[in-house]
Amino acid sequence: MSFEITIPRLGWSMEEGIFAGWLKKDGDVIRRGDALFELEGEKALQEVEALDDGVLRLMADGPQLGTVLKVGAVVGYLVADGAALAQTPSDSNVASNTIKPVEKAPATDINSMSSGGSPSVRRLARELGVDLNRVTGTGSRDRITDDDVRATARRESEQRPTINSALAAEIIATPRARRAAKTAGIELSSMQGTGRNGRIRERDVVSQSNAAAPSATWAGGQRISLSGRRRVIAERLADSHRQTVPVTLTSQVDATNLVSLRQQFKAAGETLIPAIHDIIAKLVAGCLRQELRLAGRWDGDAIVLPYDNEIHIGLAVDTPEGLIVPVLRNVVNETLLSLAAESSRIIRKSRAGRLSGAEMQGAVFTITNLGSFGIDTFTPVINLPETAILGLGAIRKLAVVASDDRIEVRPMMTLSLTFDHRAIDGAPAAKFLQSLVAAIENPAARLLMSE
Amino acid sequence: MTNDQILSLYRTMLIIRHTEEELARCHQRGLIHGACHTYVGQEAIATGVCSHLTKADTVFSTHRGHGHALAKGMPPRELMAELFGRATGCSRGRGGSMHLFSPEIGMMGTSGIVGPCMLQACGGGYSAKLLKTGNVAVAFFGDGAVNNGAFHEALNMASIWKLPTLFICENNQYATEIPFSYASGSPSVAGRAAGYGLPGFEIDGNDVVEISRIAGDAVARARAGEGATLIECKTYRTRAHSEGMGDFTYRTREEVDAWKKRCPIARLKAAAPAELSAAMDAIEAEILEMVRDAREFAEQSPYPEAASATKYVYSQTDAGSTPESSPMRPAAPSPPREISFTQATVEALAGEMSRNPKIFVMGEGIGIRGGNFRTTPGLYNLHGPERLCDTPICERGFVGLAGGAAMTGTRPVIDFMFADFILDSIGEIINQIAKMQYMSSGRLTMPVLLRGCVGIGHSAATHHSGSYHTLYGQVPGLRVVMPSNAYDAKGLMLRALRCNDPVMFLEHREILTAKCHVPEHDYEIEFGKASIVREGTDVTVVALAKMVPVTLALCDMLQQENISVELLDPRTISPLDTVTILRSVAKTGRLLIVEETPPAFGLGAEIAAQIADSGFNDLDAPIKRVNGAFAPTPYAPTLEAAVVPTEMDVALAIRELVRE
Repeated sequence: MSFEITIPRLGWSMEEGIFAGWLKKDGDVIRRGDALFELEGEKALQEVEALDDGVLRLMADGPQLGTVLKVGAVVGYLVADGAALAQTPSDSNVASNTIKPVEKAPATDINSMSSGGSPSVRRLARELGVDLNRVTGTGSRDRITDDDVRATARRESEQRPTINSALAAEIIATPRARRAAKTAGIELSSMQGTGRNGRIRERDVVSQSNAAAPSATWAGGQRISLSGRRRVIAERLADSHRQTVPVTLTSQVDATNLVSLRQQFKAAGETLIPAIHDIIAKLVAGCLRQELRLAGRWDGDAIVLPYDNEIHIGLAVDTPEGLIVPVLRNVVNETLLSLAAESSRIIRKSRAGRLSGAEMQGAVFTITNLGSFGIDTFTPVINLPETAILGLGAIRKLAVVASDDRIEVRPMMTLSLTFDHRAIDGAPAAKFLQSLVAAIENPAARLLMSE
Repeated sequence: MTNDQILSLYRTMLIIRHTEEELARCHQRGLIHGACHTYVGQEAIATGVCSHLTKADTVFSTHRGHGHALAKGMPPRELMAELFGRATGCSRGRGGSMHLFSPEIGMMGTSGIVGPCMLQACGGGYSAKLLKTGNVAVAFFGDGAVNNGAFHEALNMASIWKLPTLFICENNQYATEIPFSYASGSPSVAGRAAGYGLPGFEIDGNDVVEISRIAGDAVARARAGEGATLIECKTYRTRAHSEGMGDFTYRTREEVDAWKKRCPIARLKAAAPAELSAAMDAIEAEILEMVRDAREFAEQSPYPEAASATKYVYSQTDAGSTPESSPMRPAAPSPPREISFTQATVEALAGEMSRNPKIFVMGEGIGIRGGNFRTTPGLYNLHGPERLCDTPICERGFVGLAGGAAMTGTRPVIDFMFADFILDSIGEIINQIAKMQYMSSGRLTMPVLLRGCVGIGHSAATHHSGSYHTLYGQVPGLRVVMPSNAYDAKGLMLRALRCNDPVMFLEHREILTAKCHVPEHDYEIEFGKASIVREGTDVTVVALAKMVPVTLALCDMLQQENISVELLDPRTISPLDTVTILRSVAKTGRLLIVEETPPAFGLGAEIAAQIADSGFNDLDAPIKRVNGAFAPTPYAPTLEAAVVPTEMDVALAIRELVRE
């Protein structure tokens, strides 16, 4: 009995990750839950835990530090104590998922080629797009029969993503593409192939090269290869830009009471003072319950609204590795102090690059804060598949006209709400922002009302 | 017989004897690298026959040929140096004991294969007849050769065409170790001559005077145009078949000793007038010195340069060439001058035959009938039966003859009708015709044009549809041409008719009537220059013969699918123009080879290997092939269609390749 160790999907859009090294050695006894290896996923470096017990067996041609691996790619095995790796694939029903049999065997295994099958079998294989080298013959003298080809075609169509992932675990590129990439100074690992089984062809290099035209023509300066996270960020932001119809509303809010609330916590001798974004998150959650459509998740042919007690809010955090969005859970139900503790924890973890996948999932709304950089208004980009994002500006003392027409100095902040006009119209979005402004201007009452 | 004649015969026999004995000693000492078949005991035959020959007369010999070469006038120095593998040897070190060439003195070569020399001597006779030189050609062969088909075919051809040829059978009673009495249904070789309508003589092969007399008559008859003679000389070799071989598993010491007593040299000396005794002793002393000098010469001679190992595979000279330079076919004028593939070859052949009287055509039905495929219409009336020679159905025979004819100065064109029939003569082509230039270090040229129809179609079934071009492509020394259209056919045919190398000219039967513009003027297409049939950017397709029009017909359709095909036609597969293919693949990154024949070891395999090697970094996809099935050609239309690539197969392969 053996278990495959595969690349997990760490986020909803994760297709591949960058292998960041084993935490255990070949031969180590592994207990379920032990951290096996590190993987740079969608947004963070993450430890991947063992799902099963067994002795770790690593493959000779297994992933190296920095290898880009498709989700589902097999990187090693957990075997029963004493079992050898060589026996593993044949013991396993899912051997066809491994990198090795799919990748290496067909090219060199003469025996499997000679058992190729009759012309009609070959024709069938051709029609069904089945590589005969991947078919195990069950006919006499291991000949491949029509049924074998059909069975393989069925199995492969079910497993297609896995098989493709396994194939792409190593870079497969034509010699011409390799040469073109070398000439253009492009890393093949940063490329998606459009050839058979994802093989990188010259055209893929050319399109990549054209996309990166400035760097191709601008000779000077340092080249920085895109990290996995940078690529994920780029793809997600580009997706958002392509898919959503973003509209940004801005509104000034009087932050006098907000600032004062924090002062009150200090005066009360609290060691943990909630940050502005913590208080606003709590207030946002309350407003979202009133206008759940702004917390909807776009899902192709439907908008999925959250349960009103499951409002999770993402906080955009700037880290040395790039933007990351840890999630504050159940904002409606948690007390402000526990929210503050949790946000401080996840932000710290984010900056250390140690956030788990689960800690980045499930948000229905995101808050991003550029106020600390002195920015007043901006146009935040919606974090798909969410519907809206709130940008917080700087709190500045401004002269404002009070209700009795006196000029007063007040701490003011601008809110920038970007919403997806596909999902919701301008009026309800404006109404939401209006209610949020009101909440921020009277935070204590709102917070106490929600307790 | 005059005293001078006696001394001359004695002298020649003694040269042979002492040279052979010295060679036997050298062999024992390990100075000879390969085989050494001595002629000891049989000296009278070569000596007696060759005493009537001039340098212009030709001798075609066997593996036991030292004596023939020496009798024909080869100095012992050249013979010994050849066996020592030296650059000064008669074949410049390329031949050894079984491949002795000295065309300058009419020694047209010995052969390691039993039989071909008889056919080549027919060719020597045919050249003499065609060129009216009055020369004779002589084949020496053993009793082992007379039970081989070549004997039958040679004697029959020599008889029906009254060739000035002597067939000298040296019946030493053992074909290696198989006794003639066992191997032949009739105890007489000479008696078989009657079966071919030829004069036959059985004589004592150890009696040089008698041999000289009978051979003299035969040579005179041949020169007088009275045709060929078969002479069986009963003799015995008193040394082993080959030096170093055991001798007494198949014959007894007593038998050998008895024959040694019948030594032809001792016999002549004994019969000679007493006054010649002193002169004979002086000759012997002189010859011993000559042989000692020969050995010293051989030992001191340099080995050939290793760098020259592939020199002379092809002719170093050529009958002049005016090749077209562009790989693209010139644009046709309006109106075009459209003629068929076959008409184009006829135009080339007819023109060249009227320019070059050394050209003659042989084949079945190519005379008055004008060729089964109308390859020679009207030429018989212009040039007569010797230049348009209908043959018996004996492919090995007339191809062997063609080899001998080319060796002796004429330019045979063999019209096989169906190229399948070539296989009956394959030994003559591969072992003899293709190798002669090389083995003779370029001193012989072999302008043999071998043409025939190939290709599958119209239920011709398996004996009328074979191509085997890749088989020929593997033979050093052959040129292999496979045109795909009338324009190329004419230019390549003219090149072939002027080329000094043997050319296999294979004509696909399914495109013989296809017409295109063919200029009336004389033009040659160089061998080893592919034609770019259509320019494209996405995929390079290399196709041959009929597969060229098959592929070309798809190109417009594929263009509409945004697949731009560059179609190359190598036109000749030997030499093969890999440069043009490489250049094209550098452009497209994709290569498909389309061939009607099975894939195994085929043109596709060869091209793929070469391009993968030299053009690896240009490849943007695996190299692919489309081939016919690995099966003989079946008859039924359904089966036949299933073994050849169709347009759809090619289109599918191109689409698949673009997706790779």
